[in-house]
Amino acid sequence: MLQTLPRRAVVALLALSVFFPIGLVLWQSVLSGPFFMPAAVPSLESYAFIFNDPDFWQAGRNTLAVAFGMGAIAIPLGAILAFIMVRTDLPGRRWLETPILVPIFVSPVVLGFGYVVSLGPVGFFSVWFQELFGSVPWNIYSLASIIVIAGLTHVPHVYLYSSSALRNLGSDVEEAARLSGAGPFRVARDVSLPMVSPALLYVGVLVFFLGFEIFGLPLILGDPEGHLVLTTYLYKLTNKLGTPSYHLMAAVATCIIAVTFPLVLLQRALLKSAQRFVAMKGKSARQRPLMLGPWKWLALALILAWLFVTVVVPVSGIALRSVVSSWGQGVNLLEVLTLDHFRAVFEEDTMIRSIINSVLIGTLGGALAIGCYLAVGLAIHRKNDGLARFVDYIVLTPRAVPGLMAGLAVFWVFLFVPFLSPLRSTLFSVWFAYAVVWLAYGMRLIQSALMQVGPELEEAGRLVGASHSRVSRDITIPLVRNGLLGAWLLVFMIFEREYSTGVYLLSPGTEVIGAQIVSLWASGAVDVVAALSLINMALVGIGLAIALRFGVKLHD
Amino acid sequence: MTDKTILSVDNLALSYGSNPILKGVSMQLRRGEVVSLLGPSGSGKTTLLRAVAGLEQPHTGSVTIAGRAIYDAAAGIDIPAEKRDLGLVFQSYALWPHKTVFDNVAYPLKLRKVAAGEMGTRVHAALKNLGLDHLAERYPHQLSGGQQQRVSIARALVYNPPVILLDEPLSNLDAKMREEARAWLRNLIVEMQLSALVVTHDQSEAMAMSDRILLLNGGVIEQQGTPQEMYGQPQTHFVADFMGSNNVMKGRIGDIRGGEARIDLDNGMAVWGLRRTNAAIGHEACAVVRVEQAQLCEGPGDNRAEIELVTSMFLGDRFEYVFHAGDDLLRVWGKTHEAPGRRWVSLPAGGVWIF
Repeated sequence: MLQTLPRRAVVALLALSVFFPIGLVLWQSVLSGPFFMPAAVPSLESYAFIFNDPDFWQAGRNTLAVAFGMGAIAIPLGAILAFIMVRTDLPGRRWLETPILVPIFVSPVVLGFGYVVSLGPVGFFSVWFQELFGSVPWNIYSLASIIVIAGLTHVPHVYLYSSSALRNLGSDVEEAARLSGAGPFRVARDVSLPMVSPALLYVGVLVFFLGFEIFGLPLILGDPEGHLVLTTYLYKLTNKLGTPSYHLMAAVATCIIAVTFPLVLLQRALLKSAQRFVAMKGKSARQRPLMLGPWKWLALALILAWLFVTVVVPVSGIALRSVVSSWGQGVNLLEVLTLDHFRAVFEEDTMIRSIINSVLIGTLGGALAIGCYLAVGLAIHRKNDGLARFVDYIVLTPRAVPGLMAGLAVFWVFLFVPFLSPLRSTLFSVWFAYAVVWLAYGMRLIQSALMQVGPELEEAGRLVGASHSRVSRDITIPLVRNGLLGAWLLVFMIFEREYSTGVYLLSPGTEVIGAQIVSLWASGAVDVVAALSLINMALVGIGLAIALRFGVKLHD
Repeated sequence: MTDKTILSVDNLALSYGSNPILKGVSMQLRRGEVVSLLGPSGSGKTTLLRAVAGLEQPHTGSVTIAGRAIYDAAAGIDIPAEKRDLGLVFQSYALWPHKTVFDNVAYPLKLRKVAAGEMGTRVHAALKNLGLDHLAERYPHQLSGGQQQRVSIARALVYNPPVILLDEPLSNLDAKMREEARAWLRNLIVEMQLSALVVTHDQSEAMAMSDRILLLNGGVIEQQGTPQEMYGQPQTHFVADFMGSNNVMKGRIGDIRGGEARIDLDNGMAVWGLRRTNAAIGHEACAVVRVEQAQLCEGPGDNRAEIELVTSMFLGDRFEYVFHAGDDLLRVWGKTHEAPGRRWVSLPAGGVWIF
């Protein structure tokens, strides 16, 4: 809780940070050339260009196919996984929880690379499979493969929301149905499923939305056969005309936002209705798990198979690839083992810088971002006035902008605003872009921590004579300390994982591992990419281990 | 307003959106007096307390404490909660879990920049007063509910506020402790000569603890007075029904004789009682009789009827008889166990109110 003036200043700064870059994108999209060129005049020719480009329509069709295909795979699997994990006596449920969530924290570009080195034409698993069975039945570079992999790697997102909805569902409503004469499967069909359906609907929209934003997987897997989605189309536009085609990129970005922004608003509305459902829950006693009997081994086998495909295959592929000099049919693994790739990484300044920068942006940058989110959170804490509702919408807005695009917009801001331009090639520009892109995520963490503080604890402070800011300092912040620490760890992992936002901000001095991988991949430096990917996963892994050690909930 | 008045609320109104919660409430609290705000949930009693504390935003009216206007809609005065210098004991106690008992109680003094030495003395004095001195270094979660409540009271009293506000002070204690705590709290308030405004939904708690009761209903004060007046001379059906255990029966006015009226009840009985309604003969009315006013009796007479006793319930210090009278259940208290069957019951005219 802040006083009026600092409160307004915080909100004004926030609004500027969010709306200025996005406004720049929209404005750029209706100019005839890059905004800094004097010759640029308002025109719709950028839209005319992309609407006349068959590649754009092909990318749009592919995006729809990916978004729907992903949902068709991830939603049923995630919901079933949640039901099995939450409601049944599956053996080993406790230690399965963390591996299931791993794909969320691994950078998609790293995952995509992992699939290439594991299941690609000369991937480890492809070669082993071929040696055993004579041929390989899959083609990792087809559109269908991209959809299947995207679907499988988004199962955890569905799992998160449906499992928490299932946990929130009081067992009393199910027990009431049992006592009225319904068998366990009737209960699941008539009571449990309808009661979690708002959560499933929400997650359906979320997955569709993520499908529209997906970049890393199609960038790596779609390139060899030329399967473009809207984000990769946007990325390739850089080189399409030879000159900086900012106006075309802005037009594509505007088209993406035109789809994603309504989806974000829809998600918000759905989340509210889902919460209304949850609010009706009764006291949830200990739920008696459903006995699966011999089926539990089948269920376990299915979950392990899914984990093998989505976690073990790509991660082990990267780990192996980073320590072999070459790989192909007939190569003996023991003969090609080497640490040269890591040596190469640690011999080159840019690589070392990218690692140091990544660590800095995760630790210091993460803490700074949490500080900013906390300032915004306190500015609207327990307020329900116009300003607080305004902040609600500001926070949602960057959610609709794909990271790649947001990075570009921030790049423009630092190009455009005179006193910011010296900061363009410093880590500050990358941090700023990250903090804006992950605003909604960070604010959710902060707000759920702040909501844990009972309002009467703050009111008691007011009554005994503490001003708003004194209450924040002496009562609210000390009470949310643990929540802030957890939020910091989660933001650390998210910042380590981030790759697309830094792509356009990549310059000497601003290298981060994620963006570096994207750029190195384009130059075909597979060895270094493998080593960097492993280092990236190790950083995320350290964050994950600390988070688990401190009992941080990986979701709210 | 007399100079003994310490808290004065005048025509206070408050709405949540278009939903009015307080519709113009006026009240006074005198120095050294305990006033209870009583009412069912949704009557606005907690909102009134919180508006006095500065935690809710009224839109009209005024609040004055010890001659100082802390809220006045007309004059545009709205002193923030932290500057009102009031003590509030929260229903949930609202002890800060990250501070020890000592730090919880010391915080108001720290905000008032009291020197460390004096602060220690005053906090220990406050804790001693409430029998908590040995718990000073504990954290709130290490205390029992009753101890937490006393810490919360110590915190609200340590800076000598002119008025102490208590929000449902006993509701978080279990039933058996509640009666003891009630006596302890009343004793504390009287001994320390505090001026207290207490919110409660429990009529027996309100009667036991306070010098005066304000009964709120739907955002207005239905009636106010001493506990005896509230119990013995209810002015409306709502007040009569809210205070005490009652038999309520519907009927029509049969006859009117000055301050008394006869009501012909739908269950067939006809009783005389005190007329508290302007309804004319033939109009609908209802009779309210305190359970302790109804008696078993030997034979016929005025205000008596022979009705069916269904069952006797043993309540420890007495029996409660349940009668069927037409569609009504009539409850009567007595000393002995009675077998089911037809009995004569008397409803003395002085104990029947007709609304």
